[in-house]
Amino acid sequence: MSGSLFRPLKALGTLFEAPITLPMAPRPAAERYRGFHLNDHNKCIGCGTCSRICDNAAIRMVHDPELRADPVKGIRAERPAIDYGRCCWCALCVDACPTGSLSLSREYIHISENLDTFFFVPDEQGMHGFGFEHGWDKGDDNDLLAHQRQPMAEVGTEERLGDMREIVLGFDPQAALVEASRCIQCGLCHDACPTHMHAPEYIRAVWEGDFDEAVRQIYRTMPFGSVCGRVCTHRCESACSLHHRGDPIAIRWLKRYALDQLSPERVGQIASEGRTREKSGRRIAIIGSGPAGLTTAYDLAREGHTVVVYEAQTEPGGMMRYGIPEYRLPRDKLDQDIDIIRAQGVEIRTGIRVGEQVTLEGLATEYDAVVVAIGLHQGRSTRIPGSDHPAVMRAVDLLRTVWSGADFEVPRSATVIGGGNVAMDAARTLARLQRRCFGEVQVHLCALEAEEGMLADREEIHEAREEGIRINPSRGPRRCMVEEGQLTGLETVACLSIFDDTGRFHPRYDEEDARTHPAELIVEAVGQMADIALLPKSIVEQLEWERGRLKVDNDGATALPWLWAAGDMVEGPDVVHAVAAGHRVASSIHRSLQNNRGLTT
Amino acid sequence: MSKSLPTPLEGVFRRVPGVRWRQQAERHLRVELSEAENLPALLALLKGEAGYRHLSAISCVDWPDADEFELVYHLDSYTTQVLISAHIRLPAAPGRYVSVSGLYRPAGFFERDIHEMFGVQFEGALDLRPFILTEWGGPPPMRKSFDTEGYVRDHYQWVDYGPEWLAELEKRGGGIVE
Amino acid sequence: MHPDHYRHTELPPSTEYELYFGPNHPGIEGNYALKARLAGDTVVALEADGGYLHRGFEKLMEQRLWIQNIALVPRICVPDPVPMEETYARAVETLGGLEVPERAQWLRMLVLEMSRLTAHLFYFGGHAATVGLYTNMFWGVSDRDRLLDCFEQLTGARVYHMYITPGGVRRDTPPGFLDSLSEVLDYVEGRLPKFDDLFFDNAVLVRRATGTGTMDQAFAIDYGVTGPNLRATGLAHDLRRDYPYLKYAEVEFDVITETAGDAYARTLVRRGEVIESLRILRQVIDKLRSVPGPIRCPLPNPLAWRIPAGDAYTRTESSKGELAYYIVSDGSAKPWRVHVRGPSQMHAVQTLEALCVGARIEDVAQIMFSLDACPPEVDR
Repeated sequence: MSGSLFRPLKALGTLFEAPITLPMAPRPAAERYRGFHLNDHNKCIGCGTCSRICDNAAIRMVHDPELRADPVKGIRAERPAIDYGRCCWCALCVDACPTGSLSLSREYIHISENLDTFFFVPDEQGMHGFGFEHGWDKGDDNDLLAHQRQPMAEVGTEERLGDMREIVLGFDPQAALVEASRCIQCGLCHDACPTHMHAPEYIRAVWEGDFDEAVRQIYRTMPFGSVCGRVCTHRCESACSLHHRGDPIAIRWLKRYALDQLSPERVGQIASEGRTREKSGRRIAIIGSGPAGLTTAYDLAREGHTVVVYEAQTEPGGMMRYGIPEYRLPRDKLDQDIDIIRAQGVEIRTGIRVGEQVTLEGLATEYDAVVVAIGLHQGRSTRIPGSDHPAVMRAVDLLRTVWSGADFEVPRSATVIGGGNVAMDAARTLARLQRRCFGEVQVHLCALEAEEGMLADREEIHEAREEGIRINPSRGPRRCMVEEGQLTGLETVACLSIFDDTGRFHPRYDEEDARTHPAELIVEAVGQMADIALLPKSIVEQLEWERGRLKVDNDGATALPWLWAAGDMVEGPDVVHAVAAGHRVASSIHRSLQNNRGLTT
Repeated sequence: MSKSLPTPLEGVFRRVPGVRWRQQAERHLRVELSEAENLPALLALLKGEAGYRHLSAISCVDWPDADEFELVYHLDSYTTQVLISAHIRLPAAPGRYVSVSGLYRPAGFFERDIHEMFGVQFEGALDLRPFILTEWGGPPPMRKSFDTEGYVRDHYQWVDYGPEWLAELEKRGGGIVE
Repeated sequence: MHPDHYRHTELPPSTEYELYFGPNHPGIEGNYALKARLAGDTVVALEADGGYLHRGFEKLMEQRLWIQNIALVPRICVPDPVPMEETYARAVETLGGLEVPERAQWLRMLVLEMSRLTAHLFYFGGHAATVGLYTNMFWGVSDRDRLLDCFEQLTGARVYHMYITPGGVRRDTPPGFLDSLSEVLDYVEGRLPKFDDLFFDNAVLVRRATGTGTMDQAFAIDYGVTGPNLRATGLAHDLRRDYPYLKYAEVEFDVITETAGDAYARTLVRRGEVIESLRILRQVIDKLRSVPGPIRCPLPNPLAWRIPAGDAYTRTESSKGELAYYIVSDGSAKPWRVHVRGPSQMHAVQTLEALCVGARIEDVAQIMFSLDACPPEVDR
């Protein structure tokens, strides 16, 4: 073989072909080109996922105090800055962005002698403000996040109505692992949580199968993990960055799952880690054994102080025991949390009502500091005609009666007034009792709000309906109907609107649209207040009050140097807020005692 | 499983003591030798009697917790077409093994590479002079004990950017979040 | 006139001298150096010297999440990056028990063969340049550019596509893509007769490449030579056919062989493979017109990938030969060990050193290029 000397000359034919001419203008890159970054600041929540997925550490988050930060909504005043000395344009940041704010543009040329220009915070205008089009952005096919929450198994309606068993069954190991694996560790949940739980850390530990570590992370801020793992209002989940394009992580269920994996003894051992063994010699009295009181007690006991908790009821737990239905919070789980708190050295004296067996003044002389954490155990009334009838109850009283095991005559028909979670608790508890006694459910619920505006959680409303409760939105109570001394029903009228133009509570009704709801028992679930009868008049006068609520500073300190207050009576009803307040009060008391201040006389 | 084993392999495996094998993937056998010194004999039999003329690679893995290096010899036959990965373990100290370059010339490259990157000595190797890290004075870098980031921190200076926008942001109380 | 610091040195008389080739020699693909010992213009001995492109990829991969490594692997071989992505991904899938959806498998074959085309076109240009045929070099590179345009449309990047991810691919084809790719394939096919005229039948190439860097089949097997270089010695071995991965068992193609085992044979094998790649690509395009998604199997978020403990050795027929990854997982979020076995590790060191002995100095670059030896693959 020798090849040809002449055939190569055919290439000269190209001289007669049209040349390929490229214009001087910038060439537009392909439609999904991975050029310089763009970031929609209105969508960006500053979660920093882009900087964590970046394989070259090319993305650093910058804090801008002028940006809006809203921890409850899950927004940080931070935005990504890109270092083009390190970026390799892989676009993993785009694929992993939970909001879809980040994209890459079709612009790809940057020439400068100034090194500093290679580090910038992208916005929608792009690197040079030319407004190049979007290239690689968030499509349906390149999203790397898992947006679907693992389904949670629940007991069927028929089975659960028969008794008070827990409805939610909890994750199985596979579901928990998959759910935990969805977490992108942005920590927005931590910012949103009132007590700043280390949720990313314990979720990661669940994912790694290290339940000791998960429980350890939970107990850093939460002595009521089993309780909050079931009934928390989970602000963390509303702030979760995954909610922008899918379901938020089931943070609450994962907490519950982690705690359920270990024996109570092991949880107790982990909770006791780091406890001070030396006694400080200081004594603190806490009135009320709800989440606020017991969290305060837990923290102070761990610091070596002597803590005595006074509880009026026969068992500790406050609203957790006498308010929250057992089908949402099994009592053995509550007992487990409380036993661990006791194990830190907290003494709980039940059946002692301050103001009767002991007095506040007495406690003030006996102890170095006193905490009032008595919650909101007095129900408010609608004060409609007939509401003074003995068969008209406040929801808190009903729930306390039922859950303390006291005698209670189950009504064949009942109507609950209110549209919040307490109203749901009352209605669903009654439904279970009716089912047990009569085999059928006849419970009405009348809420002032329209369906969308009802304050109860959506799943509560949904499950209540499943259980046969008739939910009547936009109904205003008119009067309790009494015939021959017997309560027979509740009359309601249609509610047209609740607030006036200035946003004040001023409902308007359509009096023509009246209805009657059968009721041998009417339950009012329209709010609660603190029972402050225990406070002697002399002390009430020395304290500051604001609209009936005790005024305290950020740390729960009152105007009296030896008296703190915490929990629902200060902040409104919520377990996790009460826990957060308990921590603040405990650390404030601890500081004061160390500084020798705040002593009772 | 033994049904799927090509005939020559059955006999080869039986003749070398301490050989355990299992199917790792389709047409891929994983062979473990309990005694590292039996490997050359296995390779010789595989090459001589089972047509394994191609040494695809030798991989080295550092297992610091066990103080061992694992050597994996990946072999292929152009006739039986079943890939074999033969695994042996060596004590990390002294980290010595014999060269198989007399049997398989490509071993020359892989042994040189493993020597350079992991510090394993191969007796009778063709050439163990540095190839990639000619001017390197540090420890064998592919060992787990070698800390890349630590080395960079100690030997290079980090140049930070100082753009105007960052200075302005810092004046307003913002800045890079560490 | 001499500069001040010049000192004339008397050297002992010798017929042999050493010449340092590279590491920036234009006749060498990438940065690589060869120390040649010459007698006159004949090579007496040659020693390869690597490391100029060592970036520590294997070490880096141990420090990055499983998914982050998709941004690293294509960089190990610049002219033919896709097989790197495929082999890495397949090893992770083997370890993790991930099933790649059918459409994704076809898409992967699409980019793999596109990459082979670009690599071979680049090779034609490069080989031509080593024998002084620079027009052909420009042709090879500019035709490759048309395929890079297609890559840009599909993957968002021209060279480092980072398109294949464990579990599938990152994106589906954009609208109209298969048509525009088909046009480019027709164009490339139409160019082959012109390449024949200018290059393959060119007396300059034929005379310089015939008998240059010759090896027989026994030598090739002995030196671990694979891929087109092995097939140029008459052994019809191709991982796509002999250990089929993805959907290669479902497409028709021929394994191209030559028997001469010299530089010219190696180039002819690649010419034949361009035709086979076009054939495969057209079958893949047909499939992609009907096979539905998804393009990726369900995975947890990338920050939380954990791959079960174990090891896997996966191999791909790259444009240069047998590319393999040995990956060990300890069950964590990052690989414990990644060993990259590039075909050029065999071709660019021992084989090159042996083939160059006796060659003339002007053929050293040609021999290296005819082996399609890729230094970044050696250095990693």
